[in-house]
Amino acid sequence: MARIKLDISRRSFLKGGLATGGLALMSPTASIDSAVGMLSADDPWYREGDIKTTYNVCDVCPWRCGVVVHTVNGIVRKIDGNPADPKSRGMLCARGQGGVSFMYDPDRLQSPMIRTGERGSGQFKEVTWEEALDYVAAALLQVKDKYGEEALAVFGHTSGDHWFADHFAQAWGTPNAAKPSSSLCLSPRDEAATLTYGSAVGGHEPVDWDSIQAFTLIGSHIGEDARNTLMQDFANAQARGAKVIVVDPRFSSVAAKADYWLPIKPGTDTALMLAWMNVLITESLYDAAYVEEWTEGLEELAAHVAEFTPDWAAGITDLPAAQIRETALVMAENMPAAAVIPGRHVTWYGNDSQRMRSTYLVNALLGTYGREGGMYFNKSVYLDHYPLPPYTVTGSSGGCSAEPGEESAELPLGPTGKARADGVRESFMRGPTAMQELIDPMISGDPYPIRALVAYGVNLLNSIPNPERTIEALKALDFVVAIDVLPQEHIAWADVVLPEATYLERYEDLWTVPHKTPYIAMREPAADPLYDTKPGWWISRELGMRVGLEDFYKWETIEEWIDKRLVSVGSSLDDMRAQGGVIVQKGKPYLEDFDGASPFHTASGKINLYSEELAEAGHDPMPVYEPTDEPPTGYFRLLYGRSPVHTFAKTQNTPVLNDIDPENEIWVNVDAAEQLGVKDGDYVMLENQDGARSGPVQVKATQRIRSDAVFMVHGFGHNSPGLTRANGKGASDTKLQTRYKLDPISGGAGMRVNFVRLDKEGV
Amino acid sequence: MEYAFLLDLGRCIGCQACVASCKVGNELGEGQQYIELIEKTNGEFPNLTGGWDNHRCFHCADAACVTVCPTGALFKEDGLTRLERDVCSGCSYCTEACPYDIPVMYEGKSSKCDGCAATVSAGGSPWCVGTCPSAALEYGPREVIQAEAHKRAEAMRDRYPNAHVYGETQAGGLGLLVVMPDDPELLDIPIDPKTPFMADAWQKVVQPAAVGITLGTAVLAGAAAVISRRNHEQEMVVIEAEGLVRDSEKSEEG
Repeated sequence: MARIKLDISRRSFLKGGLATGGLALMSPTASIDSAVGMLSADDPWYREGDIKTTYNVCDVCPWRCGVVVHTVNGIVRKIDGNPADPKSRGMLCARGQGGVSFMYDPDRLQSPMIRTGERGSGQFKEVTWEEALDYVAAALLQVKDKYGEEALAVFGHTSGDHWFADHFAQAWGTPNAAKPSSSLCLSPRDEAATLTYGSAVGGHEPVDWDSIQAFTLIGSHIGEDARNTLMQDFANAQARGAKVIVVDPRFSSVAAKADYWLPIKPGTDTALMLAWMNVLITESLYDAAYVEEWTEGLEELAAHVAEFTPDWAAGITDLPAAQIRETALVMAENMPAAAVIPGRHVTWYGNDSQRMRSTYLVNALLGTYGREGGMYFNKSVYLDHYPLPPYTVTGSSGGCSAEPGEESAELPLGPTGKARADGVRESFMRGPTAMQELIDPMISGDPYPIRALVAYGVNLLNSIPNPERTIEALKALDFVVAIDVLPQEHIAWADVVLPEATYLERYEDLWTVPHKTPYIAMREPAADPLYDTKPGWWISRELGMRVGLEDFYKWETIEEWIDKRLVSVGSSLDDMRAQGGVIVQKGKPYLEDFDGASPFHTASGKINLYSEELAEAGHDPMPVYEPTDEPPTGYFRLLYGRSPVHTFAKTQNTPVLNDIDPENEIWVNVDAAEQLGVKDGDYVMLENQDGARSGPVQVKATQRIRSDAVFMVHGFGHNSPGLTRANGKGASDTKLQTRYKLDPISGGAGMRVNFVRLDKEGV
Repeated sequence: MEYAFLLDLGRCIGCQACVASCKVGNELGEGQQYIELIEKTNGEFPNLTGGWDNHRCFHCADAACVTVCPTGALFKEDGLTRLERDVCSGCSYCTEACPYDIPVMYEGKSSKCDGCAATVSAGGSPWCVGTCPSAALEYGPREVIQAEAHKRAEAMRDRYPNAHVYGETQAGGLGLLVVMPDDPELLDIPIDPKTPFMADAWQKVVQPAAVGITLGTAVLAGAAAVISRRNHEQEMVVIEAEGLVRDSEKSEEG
């Protein structure tokens, strides 16, 4: 890891004048009266009192940085990056800094509750845990008796989702467990990668940032999508002089740092990639030796892209042909230390697997995979699972931290003989369970009834497109239980609400992170749970014990579970603590680490430029540009993204983060705004093509966006009175996403197919 | 020893980690921030440049806020401008005097970055610096920071030909040295920060006269009139430090 070599530490200046080894200050002019040191658990220096320092894994966003938490006299005060953690490396983003405030949010759910009013009314009575858990268990067993185990859907998000969407669901026997991080986010990226080079991209994109020389970001917003490690790596690479190409309809924070900004017409990225391939192949700029040794299908690909010249792409992408060629050349000049970065949220237009595949084919031509400065191979952690009996059904919830799994030809069946209800193999080819495709079966009973839902940490109405349909499903279900920290809008639709302790108040299963240097990270509580809240693992276990799943919950405490797993690497919780909260293992990042064996887990052991698998399934074996629908007159394409201060729809109410960024804006091109007669700072309503309307949202009239699209940060526009700070602030993009386009390969829900107009009436 | 911050605007990507860490670490109140990041854009689509104005204390050597502070709540120490809020009387002169428009009144008292005095004296580094993911912030002995700033400016000239170090001459030298990729005015940071009339008047008129309470009060009343007029006009009434000549063009723009 390339760290800045400054002669001072950014972490702390320990008093006392001891100069330690290589970190000592070496300025020719300055003498030093303080030396450097690293923050550690033994080094509680910034506050008086009974100071406790604990290790944790941040849960404010799904990147999962290792952190050090400082508790003073029982009050959690400050969170910093854990210097030993390969992701945080001692640093932390704004969201992570907001963790303390997330925990002490007075709006938190405080007690188990059972519904007393109509569904959606938000009327509940507080009950004991015993009462609530007995109630849930009875309801679940009733659904099982009537409809079978498969009639239960389990949706999970945030860092305890394993206990519900994986462990409980598989033990119970339902294949209908899903995570939004799959089909509402990453599925196209990871399915396309598996089809192309045999492994998923994984939660931590394996970009060899330390020595990369040229890279392309497509709709990827480092700095706005505040992944701590990526911001560190990007800043270092950019400062080192690596060439930065940003393809985005919007002049994002990272576009402002780029050497080349390509303000592409939304939905045309595949055309750009095809033209780049055309340039690389027709001008013989690709890595011929690598392509010969490690890929299959060059001849077909060359013939396929022959007609896709920069001139052809210019007419589609709205980019100058010369710029298309020039940027292809920049990538070629720097290969193999050049890569199109996979990005994260990629469910855009419904053809997303093919678009992602087109970026991987560019990378393959550049000889990127397994090369220094390109894309390395992630290695999985060596660590035993906790010994359990075989699960009742093998699940496929996926998720951004899932290990790359084998796609089985036969779909696993639940105890009453039913496979997943999301239409896999029919409406789409493969991949993890598609959450949005489980909503219809709740309403229609087709292909079979889903009658109950466990929702853990998912904001059902601000993540799944077409929230009106989701409400219809919530009305139709026999039973809904929501496990959460905050009174998010869907809580009002639950029959039982179980309040969870935050990540700062609980132990958690270990994190096993596939990485250049695979590592294990731990979480321990920094304070006792506030109110009458309980950890997710405890809730999962208590439910399991009540519904006859005792064999899967033979452990009594989570510490016991963790220690048992750590035996396989000769460690323990105490030992991990002593080691700084992290165990780092050795990786195999490059081709040469495989001693001639293929690191590509495809049938041929090679990268599939031409995909037989796709051809057999009736899909294009090589990516084809498919136009997406244009906005109707008077409408703009609705694009959405992230604020560096907020995560999904989860943190808008967090006091410190709300204070910094209380509401979102709608970015409109200045000229387009002028034509509409709206000014910067005006409030408008947004209305989509189906008449769905947002609340009032402030206009940001800016040069930073094309005139055919508008942009907003996701997650605002809450409609839940219990969120006293966030309720009614800004607009919800999800509410305006009444449509989505299903990716026929991965089951991803393309959400950038909605259009809005600005309406000054009703503000 | 003099200490200084380094702020590298070639690296800053506007992630607000510094803002949040500062708020949490210093336990700032609702609506209180010592750092504000302001997005700046220049040019017309698609020929744009942009960056982040880090609106935060520059720690001037000739600190106008310190000059006008009647209670000593604002003072210089280790090259930085400290603020003891307990001592602040709430006169708000500092908010008028600052050439960078940094201090604000929060709950009746001045509010601005104090260089994390308490944290640093306890052995830590300033909260913003400790957390910055893009390593755009550093803190250390001024000479080390100065050398690092020049090294970074030099290294980024391939990409940013006008890169330079900002803050070596402004306001007697700043305790926040900025690695500036281009013209600071593109980020609305003044090349030549002007000390407004208030500070100058205080130094030349009020302080010498302060022995006489009556006279001092009279001048303070005059100063208050200037403040209220400025507030009314919603803009800086800049009086050139030497000539005491009102910049009429500027006031008419408002």
